[in-house]
Amino acid sequence: MDEILRGGIPYGSTVLVAGTCGSGKTTLGMEFLVRGATSGEACAHFTATEPSVKLLENIRQYSFFDMKMIDSGLINVFDMDVLYSWLGLEKASFDLQDVYALIKAIVDIVNTIGVTRLVIDSVTTLCYKIKSEQLIRDFLFTLGKKLATLGCTTLLIAEITSATENAHWSSFGVEEAIADGIIVMGDVERMGHLLRYLQVVKMRGTQHSRAKYAIELTPLGVMLTPMLKWGALNDRAGSWGA
Amino acid sequence: MSREVSFDPEDEEFFGSVGSFGVPKFDDAMRGGVPRGFMMIGFTDTGSGAELFGKQFTSPAEESDNTMYVSTNESKAEISRIFTKYDWPQDIRVRTLGEEYNSKVLEKELLASRYRLEGFKLPDIQRLAQTRFVEDNTQDFLTEMTNEVMSMGPYFRGVIDSLDFFIQRDDQTRVISMLRMMQAHTQMYRGLLLLMISRDAIDAATKQEMAAIADMVLEFKVRGIGSEFETSMIVSKFRNAPENLAVMVYRVTAEEGVTPETVERIV
Ligand SMILES: Nc1ncnc2c1ncn2[C@@H]1O[C@H](COP(=O)(O)OP(=O)(O)O)[C@@H](O)[C@H]1O
Ligand SMILES: [Mg+2]
Repeated sequence: MDEILRGGIPYGSTVLVAGTCGSGKTTLGMEFLVRGATSGEACAHFTATEPSVKLLENIRQYSFFDMKMIDSGLINVFDMDVLYSWLGLEKASFDLQDVYALIKAIVDIVNTIGVTRLVIDSVTTLCYKIKSEQLIRDFLFTLGKKLATLGCTTLLIAEITSATENAHWSSFGVEEAIADGIIVMGDVERMGHLLRYLQVVKMRGTQHSRAKYAIELTPLGVMLTPMLKWGALNDRAGSWGA
Repeated sequence: MSREVSFDPEDEEFFGSVGSFGVPKFDDAMRGGVPRGFMMIGFTDTGSGAELFGKQFTSPAEESDNTMYVSTNESKAEISRIFTKYDWPQDIRVRTLGEEYNSKVLEKELLASRYRLEGFKLPDIQRLAQTRFVEDNTQDFLTEMTNEVMSMGPYFRGVIDSLDFFIQRDDQTRVISMLRMMQAHTQMYRGLLLLMISRDAIDAATKQEMAAIADMVLEFKVRGIGSEFETSMIVSKFRNAPENLAVMVYRVTAEEGVTPETVERIV
């Protein structure tokens, strides 16, 4: 992944990881945090798509993951439902004040524990509670801006139903506008097999590859291999851990 | 529910086979009082004096620590004021679930607005990162209530005013199955349990089902006659003693509480 990005994700950027269900977004996000935690960075994961208990149960099966990172407080997993409950946001739709309360809480957490790597899984689920598109745009824009000033590198995970060429890489059409980078994950059919692939569509500040890479989710984590048919010539063959 | 309960012969003699309503004239009308082991349901109208009747029912308090009064809409202070006024024993177990519920909800709302205003402090964040489930702030009052009743010993006396609270928050079939458990416990321990519920809170089928579980059904009614109100209690079910079915018109007085004026047999 770092090679595809010619070094990695630029510090402080907000990257949209848009993918279909089961494409490996959560796993990729967690590997991103684990890498940070290994070098002593404070990390945070906000889970809205699944309860944190389930997330941890799944993720602990990967060999790259170590529960000690959770126990020691290097990776902080926050259950969105718990956060909502603490903020009195147990309701079907959020108004402007609620949205600001949510941003304040996330920023507060990032600020207080000095989070440098953040994953929000997913903004799609989170934004379902925000009914107006203007408010969603406001929310993501304000959040992205604040996180950037705090020097936090953020992966915003987005659920999409299709990852075809001309599909939107977001459900609300606004996520991609505020992102410094877009990584798309989806399925592609090849000789009767459904293969997972990953493609970096945009990444400000890097001369990244735009090729599609086949992904394999192995017990070791996310493995990437260039898909020759689409692969750029100068992309070295081989596989890397993200 | 095949557990055998053994009763102390001295207790058997002391408590006898019936317990007082706390209203002598009612006891007379019911040939001595309520048979021990009965669970009673009172279907109530607002303004019928049923709340007072419920409190008065605790007043015989044969054993104060085995007598329980549960209120879902009054505060401890209000209850105490009425018990003091009538000079009924106050050393009984009193629980005010409405008050407990409100303070829980209020506490949570206060905390939420504090978090929203002042933000999270480090210890809050650490706690948040370790909290995996949403705390059930309303807690399960129905289970707690049932457990409370189930923990009462032989010859207990208990009043729950009212089941409306549970009907509004829980699934009706759950309330019904809890009623069955309480009925079985009351019967086995020869307790006396009086449950109140507003007629408006339930549909006819639920009322019918509750009446079927209960050993005795009391209907508290109020009707306007000219500028006056007439309050009455109809005993519409009395297990094994249909001859006790009756309509009693009563008054609420400052001295005696609920006092029957006329008793009319139905059979
Ligand atoms: N221990 C594991 N080893 C290898 N692959 C796994 C493991 N656990 C889950 N997977 C694969 O990962 C997929 C889910 O990945 P995930 O990151 O949760 O996707 P997403 O978040 O995009 O829905 C599963 O469908 C499964 O194929
Ligand atoms: Mg996921």
